[in-house]
Amino acid sequence: MIIENTLPIMLSRLDFAFITSMHILWTPVTIGMSWLLFFLEVAWLRTGNEKWYRLQRFFEKLFIVNFGAGVATGVTMEMAFGILYGPFSQAVGPFFGNILGFETITAFMYEAGFIGLMIFGWGKIGKGMHLFSTFNVALSSSLSAMWILVANGWMQSPRGIVLKDGLFQVTNWWHAIFNPNFNIGFPHMWVATVELSLFFFAAVSAWFILKNRHADLFTTLLKPTLLALLVITPLQIFIGDELGREVAVDQPTSLAAMEGHYHTYLPDGKVNSGWHIIAIPNAQNDGNVFAITIPHVLSLLETHTLNGKVAGMDQFAPNDRPDVWVPFYAFRLMVTIGFFLFFMALWGNWLRIRGELTAEKLRRHPNFLRLLTFSGFLPYLAVWTGWWTREIGRQPWVVYGLMRTWQGVSHMGVSAEALWFIGYIVFEFMVWGGAWYFFTRIIQKGPDLHSPVVGAAPSESSGGGMAQASFAKPTLNKL
Amino acid sequence: MDHLSDILRIHSALSTFWWILLGLFFIIYIVLDGADLGAGVFSLLLKDENDRAAVMSSMAGTWDANETWLVVAGGVIFGAFPLVYGSTFNYLMIPLMFTLWGIISRAVAFEFHVHAKTSKKFWGTMFGLGSLVAAFFAGIALGATLLGFRMTTGNAQGIQVANDPFVNTVPHFAGNALSFLSPFSIWTGIGAVIAGGLAGTLYLCARFKQDDPIYKKAHAWATTFSFLALAAVVITLIWSYAIMPDAAKWTGSGWFGWLILLLAILISAYKMMTAHATHRDFPALLWCGAIVVLMWGGMWATNFPYIIPNTWTITAGGNPANDLAILTLFMTGFVPIMIMYNAYQIWVFRHRITHLAGYESH
Repeated sequence: MIIENTLPIMLSRLDFAFITSMHILWTPVTIGMSWLLFFLEVAWLRTGNEKWYRLQRFFEKLFIVNFGAGVATGVTMEMAFGILYGPFSQAVGPFFGNILGFETITAFMYEAGFIGLMIFGWGKIGKGMHLFSTFNVALSSSLSAMWILVANGWMQSPRGIVLKDGLFQVTNWWHAIFNPNFNIGFPHMWVATVELSLFFFAAVSAWFILKNRHADLFTTLLKPTLLALLVITPLQIFIGDELGREVAVDQPTSLAAMEGHYHTYLPDGKVNSGWHIIAIPNAQNDGNVFAITIPHVLSLLETHTLNGKVAGMDQFAPNDRPDVWVPFYAFRLMVTIGFFLFFMALWGNWLRIRGELTAEKLRRHPNFLRLLTFSGFLPYLAVWTGWWTREIGRQPWVVYGLMRTWQGVSHMGVSAEALWFIGYIVFEFMVWGGAWYFFTRIIQKGPDLHSPVVGAAPSESSGGGMAQASFAKPTLNKL
Repeated sequence: MDHLSDILRIHSALSTFWWILLGLFFIIYIVLDGADLGAGVFSLLLKDENDRAAVMSSMAGTWDANETWLVVAGGVIFGAFPLVYGSTFNYLMIPLMFTLWGIISRAVAFEFHVHAKTSKKFWGTMFGLGSLVAAFFAGIALGATLLGFRMTTGNAQGIQVANDPFVNTVPHFAGNALSFLSPFSIWTGIGAVIAGGLAGTLYLCARFKQDDPIYKKAHAWATTFSFLALAAVVITLIWSYAIMPDAAKWTGSGWFGWLILLLAILISAYKMMTAHATHRDFPALLWCGAIVVLMWGGMWATNFPYIIPNTWTITAGGNPANDLAILTLFMTGFVPIMIMYNAYQIWVFRHRITHLAGYESH
C-alpha cells in the first residue's frame, strides 16, 4: 500500500488541507480588494465626487469583516507548519523557513501596522496619510502573497538547493526564489485575487441594481468594474495556460493526473494525444475505466503541436503517481469557471456598447444581473479547485521529487490529528458562518449615504486625532 | 587559515544575534498583546455588553498589529531556527492549538460584535473567553518550553525505508501529545493570566477617562492583580530555581548581577504600584512594561547558551551560516521600521475614551 494513503498520513494531509482551504477563502479579498479600495479613494480625492467615497466606505466594512476572518485563520497557518509538519519544517528551514520569516517581517507586520489606520483612522489622520495607509495595506498584502507563492512554488519546482545533512541547503538564492513555478504561479494567484475582488464588486452591484436600491451609485461602480474584467478575465486564462505548460515541464506526474493521462502511447504505438472531457480512473490508478476523449487536444494544449508527446502516468512508478480524481475534476471545474467569467465580462461590455449600462436600462436585463450576482461566488470555487489541483497533483511529494509527504509529517498520533481536525472544523466554520452572516447583514443595510463626509470637519488637519473625542469606529456609526 | 572554524564563529555570532532579536520580539508581543489579552480577561467581569464593547473599541485600531508580533516571533523562529521550530511546535501542539483557537475567537469577535444585534452577548463572551484561553495556554506553552523535551532521530511517524535521507541527522520531538503537561506548566499558565490581568487593567486605566465607571473598576482590579502578580513572581522564581538546572547561575559566581536584576524588578514593581495608586496611569503602564523587559531578559540570560533549555542550544538550532547571513542582511533593517510604524499607529489611537465608546461603535 502506498504510505500516503495510510490513516495517520491521510489525516495529517487532511488537517493541513482543511486549514489552508478555509484560509484561502479570505486572503484573495484582502489582497485584491485593498487595491480596488485604494483606487476608489484616489477617485474620490481626485474628482471630489462623493459617490466614490460612499462606495469606498461601504466596501471597507465588508473588507474589515473579511480581514478579521483572514487574520484569525492566518495566524494558525504560521504555526501549523511546525505543529503538523515538523520534520518538513526542519528540512526545508534554510529556504522555506527563511522565506516565511521574510513574509512575516516585510508583509504580515507591514499590513497589520497600517490596517488600523486605514479602517479606524478616518478623521484622526489627514487624507494624505489615510490614502498612504490604504496603499500600504494593498502593497503589503500583495507582498505577502508573493512570498507565500515563492515558498509554495519552490515546493513544486525546487531549485537552487542541495540536500545535505538532512537539510535543503541553499546554493543559489536567485534560482530558489525565482523558481520556474513561482514565476508563473504568482501572477496566476495575484490576478486571481484581483479577478475575485472585481467579481465581488460586480456581484454586489448587480444585486443592488436588481433590487433597485442605490441603482445609480452601483451602476457607477459596475461600469469600470466590467471594463477591468474585460482585461483581467482573458489575461487569467492566458496565464493559466502558461502555468499548465510549466507544470507539464517541471511536474509531469501532476499534469498526467490533471488530465487523467495514463498511457503515453496508444496500443498501436502512436503518441496518445487525447484529452478527456470526462474520465473515471480505475482502482489500481493505472488506467481509465471510462473516458470521453477528443484526440489531439492534449498535445495542442501542452506542446502547442498536433501530436506532441505528453508523458502519461505509465512513465512513473506506481508509488510516484498522484491520485487522479481530485486534480482531474477540480482542474476542469476551475477552467470552466474561468471561461464562464470571461463570458460574463463579454456580456457586460456588449451591453455597454449597446448603451444599456445605465441603472434604468439594466433592469431590463434581470438575467444578466442575476448571473452576475451568482458569478460573485464562482471565483472562490475556482481558487479552491485550483489549489486542490496544485497540492494534490504534487503528491506523493511535499517537495517535488525530493521529499515525500510522509517524511515531513510530525510525531503525532491519530488521536491528536483527529482532535486538530475536529477542533478546526468547529472554529473555521464558526468564522465562515459568522463572516457570511455579517456580510449579508452589511449588504442588506446598504451604503451609508447620510453621515458627514470625513474631512469636512476641522479635525482633519490636526493629524494626531486630538479633535475627535471618541475612539469609536466612525465608519460604523450609522450602521 | 582554518575556514571551518571561521564559519562556525560566524554561525555562532549570527544565531546569537537572532536569538537576541527573538527575545526583543517576544518582549514587544507580551507588553502589547499581554495588555490586550488581559483587557479581554477583565471584560468577562463587566456585566453590560456595551461596556465590553467599549473595552473592545479601546483597542480596535491596534489589536491586530499587537497580536502580529507573535506571528513575527514565530516567523523568526522558522526563519532563523527552523530545527527548533519544527520540533518545539510539534511538542507544544495542544497548548498552541488552544492558544490559536482563543486568538481566532477574539479576532472574529472584534469584527462581528460591532455588527451583531441578537448575538452580541455571544461574541462579547467569545472575546473575553478567547482572551482568557489564549493567555492561559500561551503561559502553559512557555512553562513547557522552559522544561525542555525529549528528542530522537529517525522518521517521526516511525516509518522505515532504506536510504531515507531525512533520518539520523536532524532530531525531532519524541514525546507524546500530552508531554507538555506538568504542574509547573499549568502554574505558568495561571501566572500568565494573572500577569495579563495586571497589564490589561493598567492599560484600561491609561485608556479610559478617570471619572469613567470602567476606569474605576479597572483601577480596583489592577490593585488586586498587582498583589497577585507579585506573589506569582515569587512562586515562579522559587519553583524555577528548584527544578531548572540553568537557574543555578543565579547563586553562582555572577550572583551580584542577578541580585541587581532582582532589585531592578522590585524597584520597578514598587514604582508601578505607587504610580498606580496616585492615578498616574501611563507611567504605571510603562513600569509594568519595564518589569516584563527585565524578567524576560533575565529568563533569556538564564537559558543561555540554550534557546530551549536542555534541548536546543542557540547554535545547534540555528540555520546554516549562509541563511542566517541572508536573513540578517535583508531583514534587520526592517526591525526599526516595524517598530516606528507600530509606534505611530499606537500614537494615533492614544486618547482616553469613556464607556460610551461602545454605544458609538454600533
